[in-house]
Amino acid sequence: MILLQSPSRFLLQILQDRVLSGEKGMDIDCHTVEFDDVRYHIQFSMRNPKVMVLSVALPLPPPEAILYDGLPLGAIEAIKAAYGPVVQILDPPKDGFDLTMKINLTKLPPDEEQRNAILTQIASVREVVLGAPLKVLLKHLASKTVAPNVDKLVALVHRPNESFFLAPQADKVTIVYPMRFQDSIDIVLATSFLQEFVEARRTAALNNVPSCMWSPAPPLELKGVPADALNANAGFVTFVVYPRHVEGKKLDRTVWNLLTFHAYVSYHVKCSEGFMHTRMRRRVESLIQALDRAKSDAEKLKKLVHGASFNRLSLKNEGN
Amino acid sequence: MADLDFFIGDEALSRLRSSGLYTLRSPIHNGQVDDWDTMERFWQQCIFNYLRCNPEEHYFLLTDSPVSTPESRECTGEIMFETFNVPGLYISVQSVLSLSAGYAYLKSISDENSDPSSDMTGVVVDIGDGASHIVPVVNGYVIGSSIKSFPLSGSDVTQFVSQLLQERGELVPPEDSLDISRKVKEMYCYTCSDIVKEFKKHDKKPDKYIKHWSAIKPKTGVPYTIDIGYERFLGPEIFFKPEIYSADFATPLPQLIDRCVQSAPIDTRRALYKNIVLSGGSTMFKDFHKRLQSDIKKIVDERVAATNAEHHVEVRPIEVNVVAHPIQSYAVWFGGSVAASNPEFYEYCHTKEEYEEHGASICRTSPVFKGMY
Amino acid sequence: MANTLRLYLTCIRNTLEAAMCLQNFPCQEVERHNKPEVELKTSPELLLNPVLICRNEAEKCLIETSINSIRISMKVKQADELENILAKKFLRFLSMRAEAFQVLRRKPVQGYDISFLITNYHCEDMHKHKLIDFIVQFMEDIDKEISELKLSVNTRGRLVATEFLKQFI
Repeated sequence: MILLQSPSRFLLQILQDRVLSGEKGMDIDCHTVEFDDVRYHIQFSMRNPKVMVLSVALPLPPPEAILYDGLPLGAIEAIKAAYGPVVQILDPPKDGFDLTMKINLTKLPPDEEQRNAILTQIASVREVVLGAPLKVLLKHLASKTVAPNVDKLVALVHRPNESFFLAPQADKVTIVYPMRFQDSIDIVLATSFLQEFVEARRTAALNNVPSCMWSPAPPLELKGVPADALNANAGFVTFVVYPRHVEGKKLDRTVWNLLTFHAYVSYHVKCSEGFMHTRMRRRVESLIQALDRAKSDAEKLKKLVHGASFNRLSLKNEGN
Repeated sequence: MADLDFFIGDEALSRLRSSGLYTLRSPIHNGQVDDWDTMERFWQQCIFNYLRCNPEEHYFLLTDSPVSTPESRECTGEIMFETFNVPGLYISVQSVLSLSAGYAYLKSISDENSDPSSDMTGVVVDIGDGASHIVPVVNGYVIGSSIKSFPLSGSDVTQFVSQLLQERGELVPPEDSLDISRKVKEMYCYTCSDIVKEFKKHDKKPDKYIKHWSAIKPKTGVPYTIDIGYERFLGPEIFFKPEIYSADFATPLPQLIDRCVQSAPIDTRRALYKNIVLSGGSTMFKDFHKRLQSDIKKIVDERVAATNAEHHVEVRPIEVNVVAHPIQSYAVWFGGSVAASNPEFYEYCHTKEEYEEHGASICRTSPVFKGMY
Repeated sequence: MANTLRLYLTCIRNTLEAAMCLQNFPCQEVERHNKPEVELKTSPELLLNPVLICRNEAEKCLIETSINSIRISMKVKQADELENILAKKFLRFLSMRAEAFQVLRRKPVQGYDISFLITNYHCEDMHKHKLIDFIVQFMEDIDKEISELKLSVNTRGRLVATEFLKQFI
């Protein structure tokens, strides 16, 4: 798996099992997190086996990020558009969560393919809710306009207490990610990865993708942003998205990719650490073999003699 | 990036069938990990694709088989701490978790039924796909010296069912044979109380007992139907009469359980007989627990009668109880989730600091094997 | 480049061959104890002059000898931050497995990245020249591994970036 998939497998599995399981139901009450920023709470009760109550806690918004009634801009509309009658938003949400939805599985379309499509959509609730403002802004880009009543620079929630920035214009949208990592090794690896983004963009095959910049200091677009939001230890990445990147069907994919940029980089940093360990384990094995070669034959024999199968031999030798 | 081009679980099987680009590898054989590189990737996929979490921020609970070696626990610790950088790790023994799952389940369904002196004592009969173990647990501690292994497990049932289907001349495409046998096993197999009677029942009313299985041949696309008859009860029968499947092993499961309890300390035996807990997917056959209970009861009663006759005494009858509950197929997971939500869980974990100070050897011992290593 | 490395390693090999003449030497202070004198430094007459072999500022090798033990410490080339992190990671990985290597010190001598401690017992158990072979191969392998790791990080980064950007086409 190189790219991250949008639907949460965990949610999807629970939903599919429940749809297929028929009438008998069990109580389910479980919590799960995703990429360590979104928290889900799933509840099924015995009395109402076909109704799932799904609560979602979004990452804690930093002070500069804009929210409308505790939810990202356009989230409610996006939910309604994506799920239709299957989902009902409960107001107010459960304690400790930002959004609570009642999902009525009896209202799913009978056709299997359509049903699976909706279930996958529900499992992608993260994309729908968090990606809503990005989608609104990029939709305007597709029609080459600027969304009304939007500032020059928009901060959107990205990770807990972290945001990324958008500078929307009629013909392009500039997106800046301050990249932060916890571990010192992660920082170094991520930095070198991010520089590769810039390099990769220069190859001929990728001429048409959004231009990509990396800089250790905040780029000009971020002038006037409070310093707290700008302490990035792995530099800043800037993407410039043009209308051709958000045409028609490409919009959803672009939204998802931009939304999970940090998770994507962090996932690959972790994977390359795993890959390194595999390599290092091999190297250790070969070095130990080299050391074993140094052991004298007497030493090796001593070891063998201790082994059960050679006991008899050693007795014989002593006898001689 | 070739190391990221892989799939696990059902996805792996479907990819294998649809394209010739992949080869199939199983990191675990007979309940033991034997390919650590593959296992590492399996965990990687579990953590990043299925759980979607950042392993650096979560404590992990892993389980392993009661007979796994200290070295394999060391390897596990190495991978978890070094590759995934987990802050804390607890490697638990599956049988203890199954036992606690049983208790937790009983407690959750009724308050009065739960025994207040529930002291985590019982025999766990864990039959998975690749390995079967009988593990006596007393007060939450495993009696390591009394663990017994049963050489047959779920995959053998599948193998046997497919063999029977073949011998009876059912036309099953060879490449699908194991897959179909597995599904047949999961859907139709049950445990009978007496083979001879069961054969007669099947012969008298074939339409009531014979099931049909329809599928499409993968290569030609021709639909076909097979009949499923005696396999339904003969499959699980290998646990009670192993000689019908394998020539090397003739001790039935109930007898092995009895031996296991008999080898445990004498003051724990009554408590162990009283709570024999099933765990693992291959204990899910209908009436499996009833058959097990009656067979063990028979062995125990015979022994009591013999003692009474020999010494002219009246021994208090021994209570034998095989406990089945609906969550037994994932009892280990359930027990694990109960254990991990316990606030004390963090205290039992090996932390990253400990690992960095002492190395992987901290994972060698499991606290539930008191004084075993 | 490869030539200077060869010279550096040959020099280390020759020095080790000359320096590694160890004999059994019981502790002078505690009866029936036998301790590596190079670590304890109990008395100056048991120690020999340490030898420092430098390839350049960043890469050097310190060989300290005594009557019954020899300590070899080295500093590995770390050109940039990425190499520094990779070297740290790899050497830590090795030190965690010091048990398996027998002659590896769990902690490097201060100012160095990794240290070996060889006692007269090791020399009795193993062929001396093969032990030296091992040390030299170890040094060579560390360098090789770190540059290969660095290369793999860069190629991976490129692939990761390409796959991500391809999504926008």
